[in-house]
Amino acid sequence: GYPAEIKMDIDRLYEAVPQLSKMFLIEDKIGEGTFSSVYLASAQLKSGLIEKFALKHLIPTSHPVRIAAELQCLAIAGGQDNVMGVKSCFRKDDHVVIVMPYLEHVSFLDLLGSMRLEEVCKYMFNLLKALRRIHHFGIIHRDIKPSNFLYNGHLKKYALVDFGLAQGTPDTEINLLKVVKTEEQQGSGSRCKPTTSSGNKVFHTITINKPLAQQTTGKQPIKRPGPLLQPKHGKEEYLNLSTQRSVFGERSLNVCCAGYFEGLGIKPGKSMKTTDIASRKIITAKRKISTKGTTSGLVRKPTICPSHLTCDCFMTDKVCNVCLSRRQQVAPRAGTPGFRAPEVLMKCPQQTSAIDMWSAGVVFLSLLSARYPFFKASDDLTALTQIMTIRGSKETLQAAKSFGKTVLCSKESPALDLRTLCERLRGTDSMRKKTFNQNIEVLNCSHLNQGILCNSDFKSIERSPDTKGWDRVPDLAYDLLDKLLDLNPATRITAEKALQHPFFEGL
Amino acid sequence: ATRYRTKAGRLKKPFIKVEDITRYYRPFYHQFDCYPEINYHGPNPCSPFDVEKKNKSGDKQNKGKTRSKHHEMSCSEKNRRMERKIMETLKEKKKRGYCECCTVKYDDLKAHLKSEQHKTFSQSTEFNVVDQITSQFDCDFEEFPKVKMKRVKCSV
Repeated sequence: GYPAEIKMDIDRLYEAVPQLSKMFLIEDKIGEGTFSSVYLASAQLKSGLIEKFALKHLIPTSHPVRIAAELQCLAIAGGQDNVMGVKSCFRKDDHVVIVMPYLEHVSFLDLLGSMRLEEVCKYMFNLLKALRRIHHFGIIHRDIKPSNFLYNGHLKKYALVDFGLAQGTPDTEINLLKVVKTEEQQGSGSRCKPTTSSGNKVFHTITINKPLAQQTTGKQPIKRPGPLLQPKHGKEEYLNLSTQRSVFGERSLNVCCAGYFEGLGIKPGKSMKTTDIASRKIITAKRKISTKGTTSGLVRKPTICPSHLTCDCFMTDKVCNVCLSRRQQVAPRAGTPGFRAPEVLMKCPQQTSAIDMWSAGVVFLSLLSARYPFFKASDDLTALTQIMTIRGSKETLQAAKSFGKTVLCSKESPALDLRTLCERLRGTDSMRKKTFNQNIEVLNCSHLNQGILCNSDFKSIERSPDTKGWDRVPDLAYDLLDKLLDLNPATRITAEKALQHPFFEGL
Repeated sequence: ATRYRTKAGRLKKPFIKVEDITRYYRPFYHQFDCYPEINYHGPNPCSPFDVEKKNKSGDKQNKGKTRSKHHEMSCSEKNRRMERKIMETLKEKKKRGYCECCTVKYDDLKAHLKSEQHKTFSQSTEFNVVDQITSQFDCDFEEFPKVKMKRVKCSV
């Protein structure tokens, strides 16, 4: 039933957007996500050339402003420096199809097993080039991962794709992302602005009244988070507050709202997994209410615990009805589990393009260790703990402090040496020792003693196809990895700086 | 001391707790049944944080013998099966969702798209913002009937 199903999908797409049938031969369905399906099609250009294209059919429930923002990212930042561009766009009513050049690519899992060190170096260089490009335009991609970075080894072509989760920096050059940004600022911290402070016309048109939808945090969204995936019914009555909110809040912010909780006692071994997803607007409303000291109607026992009270649980292993009754902090967390930066996992409201750099670091970690996915967690705090076992608990605590978070962990874990970690995981640790010693005997080369690889060494790597260079990974690779996986977003290396890193010398 | 009755509990180890230093927000925490640990012995390309429940039972069968190629197969196969399962559940769940345009939750995507509210939105000027950007792309596609013929041929 597989090909027949695809054929049906193709026919339905022709039907939904009839203009397509005049120009495209849709050959296959090559991707399906929660918010879009991607098809492979060919078309003839006026020049006579027949080319292949990727047709991205967005789910018809997507808000036009979100669609337009994605188009704007592709149109302004795309088409250069390994960033996917846009060829055209077709629409009929709510059906929008974005036409992009097609790049045939290999799956990351297949790449992992076959890539030479030199190829990994180029792959990272090209990913960073794409990141420099989008960050230059003030785009935070939010979903950097191998499946969004297409690679064709034969053509030596790369393409960063999918701006469906993108967010703008305060000075973004993508106008429509400013709409998203306005929303972020609204939701962040105490700098809560009234809706009317925004002069953005579009923003007002997309602000609407809506009851809340929510989702358990236990099940991680694959992509755009929010109630799109698993709207959870039943608990709504506690949160069924009609307030102004925005469509962007629904998807780009997967917000946990502690509107209520079951009982006040702590059930051992059972964490509160039933935190709900709400919009920032709701939280904004709640905050206003709670700071006035009135009951919001959202908290089950509002009279016992006004949320401005402090308790003695801070930085201890305790929680009580006072601290647990406070509102949950709102921060963007759209993206893919395992690629979220620590500041995202810890709900830091001010997030920068540094979150993409962390994700690039996770990709690099996968490439060096030959493990994918590297992190595997069903919730944000498990993901954070996995990071801590790699980067160290003390180090994580210290970095967290720099962005305003305290972390208490019952277990201490030391920061690991990245080389040792990656080589053990890849299984090249014993191999390296052997060849390293041999090399020392043969060549008494100073840079080898330091473990640094220079261009002449790359040539020798090519001559030893068995190891693909993995027996001689330069220290510079792990130095760059260390800088990408910097726990502190303020000091984490930028794409611009990373491209100048000596690991890429000669590229 | 507060006038309010406070009920406090101690988190069960192992746990992790994160709180904003402003103390304005609810702390969030996780109590682990199984604290994450790096598993160096899992086969490539499995995550070093893969909880090897299946492998453990496999080990019991093999009396804890060496990880063979068979194991590697089962791991990537497991991954693939997982991926497929996720895709399938996504497909099922896809029918349910949230419409950003109408700002309503729906149980049946098709039915919602046919609803009066959504139809009205989809034919409204709301999409001007999309059309405005689209109009800037120059469309140099050839409209050729040959392609259509091909398609018919293909689908037979």
